[in-house]
Amino acid sequence: MTNATQNSNGTGLSMTDDTEYRIERLRHRLAHGETAELGLRIEARANAVVVYGTVATSECREEIVRLVQEELAGLPVRLDVTVAPAPADAKPRVEEL
Amino acid sequence: MTIRVAAVGDIHLGSTSEGVLRPAVESLRDCADVLLLAGDLTRHGTADEARVVAGELADSPVPVIAVLGNHDYHGEQPEQIAEILEKQGVRTLEGEAAVLDLGGFRLGVAGTKGFGGGFPGRALEAFGEPEIKAFARRSAACADGLRAALDELKSADCDFRIALTHYSPVPETLAGEPPEIFPFLGSYLLAQAIDEGGADLAVHGHAHSGSEQGMTNGGVRVRNVAQPLIRRAFALFHVNEGSHSAEHSHSTEHSRPAEHARLA
Repeated sequence: MTNATQNSNGTGLSMTDDTEYRIERLRHRLAHGETAELGLRIEARANAVVVYGTVATSECREEIVRLVQEELAGLPVRLDVTVAPAPADAKPRVEEL
Repeated sequence: MTIRVAAVGDIHLGSTSEGVLRPAVESLRDCADVLLLAGDLTRHGTADEARVVAGELADSPVPVIAVLGNHDYHGEQPEQIAEILEKQGVRTLEGEAAVLDLGGFRLGVAGTKGFGGGFPGRALEAFGEPEIKAFARRSAACADGLRAALDELKSADCDFRIALTHYSPVPETLAGEPPEIFPFLGSYLLAQAIDEGGADLAVHGHAHSGSEQGMTNGGVRVRNVAQPLIRRAFALFHVNEGSHSAEHSHSTEHSRPAEHARLA
């Protein structure tokens, strides 16, 4: 399931010269923060920064949203971060070797 | 006879993750003979997180063999993390081999975390600054450790040999990740070690957005079992007696394609 929302701040602000630097700072905080998240895709596109990927818990997603709001404040952001809890099913797919 | 191998990587348990893995571990009782963990067991590589992982694996119904991943090194105490896991019976390999006797079927596992460095044509060379040399040499050292462990298994009379790593030995299982970061996700030196040392299967994690299937140039099947990719508690491989290559000879290029055509 995709959980896409547009998180534009509605201020009309557009991409700025330092957008890429701010994205890298966000990556740094994601990696070194509570989530230790290295797998998110964060891309500066023509009209917005797109943040997408899958995380294991809603707490991780909330932390990501918080950091995105802090680091990318004033930029149009499209957030598409899905929560997929670690499955505990007893019926994994089997590959015969 | 069928040996059932469960494998998963990148479970990334935090200090508050108690209970997350336990149902999957319990379910192994009915469907697996061994569990392989392909690194990134923790988030930050702290002792607290390692104790959570060890607690989840305590009294596992099947033997557990692991390698550490880059997250498990972040706290700069990988030896302590390995020790915590070992105390709970989790065999933690780094350039080492383990042999399990599963009802008369001898399963050999050779493991290393592995490292980045890239793939042919775009691989890092140990040239120039000391930091670049250190990076490249670390990659080579991990591959050498894996090769030595696989060599050790050659004389251990194994029925089936698995190379367990965190980083990928081939680029195919990275497909889906940005190509620009492939050099940080694996190294062809691991594949070379696998082909030269000999293995029947290679299992790794690390690439959450990669692909599940790949193969070394020598024909060894490679599987990416990163949990965010497989979206299951673990991948499960059924090793059927006779499905492995004969006489532990894995440098026999002529026999490999036929074997895989038959197994496809």
